[in-house]
Formats: sequence, C-alpha cells, structure tokens
Amino acid sequence: MNIVVLAKQVPDAEALIEITSEGRELLIEQKFAMNFFDEFALEEALRIKERHGGRVSVITMGTGKATEALRTAIAMGADAAFLLDDEAFLQGDGYSTALALSRAVSKEACDIILCGRQAVDDDRGEVGPMVAQFLGLPHVGAVLKLDIADGLAVAESAIEGATEVIEVDLPAVFTAQKGLNEPRVPMITGVMKAMKAQIPRLTPADLGLEPAQVGERGAKVTIGRYIAPSRKPPVRLIAGEPAEAAREAIRILTDVERVL
Amino acid sequence: MDFRLTETQRFFREQASQTLTRLAPKAEDIDRADEFPLDVFRKLGKLGYYGIRYPAEIGGMGADCVTFTLLAEEIARVSMGLAAVVTMQCLMGTDFIYHFGTEAQKERCLIPAIRGEKIATIAFTEPDCGSDLGSIRTRAVKDGRTYVITGRKMWITNGPVADFVTVAATTDPAKRLGGLGFFLVEKGTPGFSVGQKIGKISARGANTAELIFDGCRIPEENFLGREGKGPEHLNNILGEIRTMIAGLGLGLSKASFAAGLKYAGEREAFGRTIGSFELIQEKIAEMEMRIKASEFLTYYAAWLRDSGASTGKEAAMAKLYSTETACFVADEVTRIHGAYGIAEEFPVQRYFRDARFLLFGGGTSEILKTLIARDTLKRNRPSAVI
Repeated sequence: MNIVVLAKQVPDAEALIEITSEGRELLIEQKFAMNFFDEFALEEALRIKERHGGRVSVITMGTGKATEALRTAIAMGADAAFLLDDEAFLQGDGYSTALALSRAVSKEACDIILCGRQAVDDDRGEVGPMVAQFLGLPHVGAVLKLDIADGLAVAESAIEGATEVIEVDLPAVFTAQKGLNEPRVPMITGVMKAMKAQIPRLTPADLGLEPAQVGERGAKVTIGRYIAPSRKPPVRLIAGEPAEAAREAIRILTDVERVL
Repeated sequence: MDFRLTETQRFFREQASQTLTRLAPKAEDIDRADEFPLDVFRKLGKLGYYGIRYPAEIGGMGADCVTFTLLAEEIARVSMGLAAVVTMQCLMGTDFIYHFGTEAQKERCLIPAIRGEKIATIAFTEPDCGSDLGSIRTRAVKDGRTYVITGRKMWITNGPVADFVTVAATTDPAKRLGGLGFFLVEKGTPGFSVGQKIGKISARGANTAELIFDGCRIPEENFLGREGKGPEHLNNILGEIRTMIAGLGLGLSKASFAAGLKYAGEREAFGRTIGSFELIQEKIAEMEMRIKASEFLTYYAAWLRDSGASTGKEAAMAKLYSTETACFVADEVTRIHGAYGIAEEFPVQRYFRDARFLLFGGGTSEILKTLIARDTLKRNRPSAVI
C-alpha cells in the first residue's frame, strides 16, 4: 500500500512573529516544527503501513529549512521524503500549493493521501480538499478514525453532536484531526537514519508546471496586509466582599460583555 | 574557522529537545517527589538514548562527543534529576564495561542498560575521599581467580536502584593512583548492599546513596581494565565526564536565563517592565556573555575530543567555567525574580538548587583550577619558551 503524507513546516507555537513593512511582511523567529495536524496524518500513515505493509512518502513544500520537518518524518518511520524547493513556490496560497503538491503526489501511484486538516500558521484548511480536487479523488475531512480493508476506507469524523461515518473507495484523500492517534516519539535509530537520508528536491519543471502556475504568481488569493490582533485589555480585579464581587462579575459578564 | 554545529547535530538537538519535552514535561514533579523517574527512564531506553555514544552493533547510535554534549545540555534544560540519571547511564555507568567487559558481561549488563532494562552506576567517591582518588580505601584483594572487594562508597547517583556498579578500588594502597582499578559488581552479589540514602537539595529524582562492599567476592574477569592502567583509564573518561557536565551547566544556564528574560519582560515596577531598568539589563548582558563563553568552551572541548586531540585541560576549563556560570546565572535570575525567586511555583528556585549539583562531580572548581594552572606552568617552563 503506497501512502503519501503532505506535511508542512510551520513556525513553532512559541516563535515570535512580527508584522513589518507596514503590514506587507511577517518577520518570524527561526523556530519551526512540523504542523501539529500533519503529525497525526503521518502517524496514521505509519500505522497503516505497519498493519497492511507498503511504503510511506512525505512531501513538503518549503525552503531548505523545511528539510527538518522531512527528517523528522523519516525519524518517525517514513520511507522517503521529497521537498518542493524553488523560489517560484514561495508566497503561494492554498490553490497554487495544492496544485504543486497534487502534481508531486501523482508522480507515483498511491492508495492513500493523508495530511493535517489545516496548517496552524495560516489556518485555512484548503490544501487537503484542493489536492483531492486536482487529483479527482474523494476526500474525507477532519478524520478521527480510519480503517482500511480491501481497497475501501471507513473514516469517522466528528460533526456537531454526532459522528459521521463515511465509506470511500481508495485511492482517496483524508485530512487528520486531533484525536486520530497519538504521534510516536522517534527512536534514536530513526534519528540516525534521518540524519543520513537524502532528500530529493523538486522544482516546478520536475512537476510539469510553469513558474507562473505556482507560488505567488499562481495564487488566486492576494494578501493585502497583515493586521495584528487587538491586544487583550488588562485583567480587571473586582474589589469588595466575595459575594458582592461575584454579583458584580456576573453583571459584567451578562450585561456588559454579554457572554453569559 | 566555523563555529556552527553541523546540520545533523542541529537536527539531533531539535529531536532530543522535542522528545524530552514530550516525555518529561513534569520536571517539578520529579523534583518534588525525589523518586527515581522510572517511567521516563524506561521510555528513553526504548527510544535508544542510552546507546548514544556506543556503536550501532550493540544498539547504539555511534554519535560524536559534540552530539552527546548536546543531549546533556537538552536534558539539563528540562530536569537536572533526569539529566543525572541519563548521563550516568550513557557514560559513567556503562563505559568501563563497554571498553573492558567480557562478551558475557556486555550481554548481561551493557546491552540491557542501553535498552533501559537495567540501571547502571559508577562508584568513585568515599566518605573520606573525593577528588583525591589516590587515597581510596576500598580494597580489591586478589584471591585465586576472584577479587574480594571491601569498602564504602558515598554519593553514588542511582545507588539505591542500580543493577550493577563499576567500583573504583585499590589493589595496592601503597601505589596510590597506580593501584587504582575498576571492578564490576552486580546487584545480588553477596556482601554488596545499599547503605544510607542521602537526601539532597539538588538533582532530586536522581537518588543518591552509600554503597557497602563487605567482603564482596567477584570473578577475576570483573576487573575492568588493565592492571596498572587505572590512572590512564580514569583520565580517558574524566575528560568526557567533564565535557558532559559542562553541557549540563550550559543547559541549566540557558533554562535559567530564559526564565529570567521572560520575567524581566513581564514584571512591572514603577510603571514599566523591570527589563527596562539598567541594573537588570546589566545582569542580562553579563549572563548572556558568560553563557556564550560557556558554550564556546564546552563545544570546543567536545569538538577537540572528536578530533582525536587530548582534551584534559580544555575539558577542565569547560566544566569549571560552565558550572560556575550556571551557579551565577541561577543566582542572578532568582534576584531578577525578587521574592518569587524562592517561590515553589517558579522553576528558578529549582535551577538555583540544581546548579550546586554541578560543582562537585568530575572535579571541584578548586581542583580544576589547580589542574589547569599546573598544565599551563608545565607547558610554559622558561626552558620551553623560545
């Protein structure tokens, strides 16, 4: 069974991010990690391989630094990794990214494509479904359970107040939700293997694409400017006796903030 | 000249950091309970971390000294108690068996230790003997095809839980260091017992105890090393131990410094954050500068070892400077925290306590200064100067 995982390297949750150039650019501290949701996708791919045999390949789009995410994937147990690395890929949107990734996926036949339900940096959640669209494959989003048997997948995902169970023929695309599994910690032998692994780099030409079809030039979305979220107001302490203060807190929550 | 870590060293550090953060997020719990962190210990063994210095054929990673030092640094950032346990397992507790043990001993002790199935330790220190190993009192007396070990060891990390111990003992007290030898004693050997446990304020979780050897008879093949070569074996491992401890100091300094920076950026006084006051800035600049100097000395000593050069003096310098810096930084950071510096809810009080742990093992600062100065004087005798 050939499984492809689409993984993204994103800024670490603790990395400092600053908006510069009057809102046109983000200055991001050089601390990165594999996208939180992609780790669930990778873990699921590895578990499927362990149960059914096969091979797990991981594809990332990014600059050279993104090889770290791919090495992490190899350390966890992936068999191969590919980096879409070219100036032309930069500053893309979900559409141009999904186009390039789908071309990379289609270089080899595969049965299952997994990725996180969204990247935690831009939070758009577009790439998984768009890759499915480009490849003409079915897609199941935010999967919490995935069973594979006889060319068929049974996927469960949470919907409001219920669990949705979807049967789908393979090949298909699945996006992973938190709760699908507990991603493994790499063995040190895996880390060694990852340190030595060769990671091929693919350009638009390798994918049969023109530079104008990928990255910023191929994007359908234009970023106007970045705006920092408004700062939280300082904590307000309510003075007085506990019962009186509690009444005042409830009044503020119900009448002023209207959150109750 | 290139001061950067290699890509693979950086990747390893990142992986180790992520693994430790995931497996050992409760450093405060380890500190408060002061119990051997068996669960995390076993998990790290299953992941293969105790074999970092050993070749792949026996389940190791075959990593260089820089990479091992990075591991020490990353663990010390998380928990000094765990760091003491892990580094004992990776280095001091297993090194003599790896170099001098029989295949059966490796099969019985080393390989299970690499897997985290057995706990290792080493016993140098005695109630009346620390840095002065030439005056060691624990005797190893040859009796036919056995040795009989008699003596007491103190301050033995992992002592209460160890499955086997490498014991420093003398075969001839008159020869002082020349009589020094190292002997494998396994748990359950008649005459071997654990004495008093030593409660301590630093590196809690790494349990420390007295070990008693009362006519403890072991087979002659448990002599680990070559007769008369004890000092040489000791020097070989001491360089690596000191470099590793320098890594521990560096990790602790960095953890303390990060806590200090965070607090200086959040705590307000007189209408502004305390980090904007010049006297706090002086502390920040001084700490950062010393940490950077520790980093250079530590990585340099490790790199020298990987280059095959003698590292005696450089490892001593790294250990001395890095551990003193850890004490300095932890002290300064508790001052930045004001009264909160001694509050249990903040980790800096733990850093302050843990920094003291680093001052003794591998040589006290005073002994190391003596070694450094003697080496320098020896190499710079007037007759040697052109």
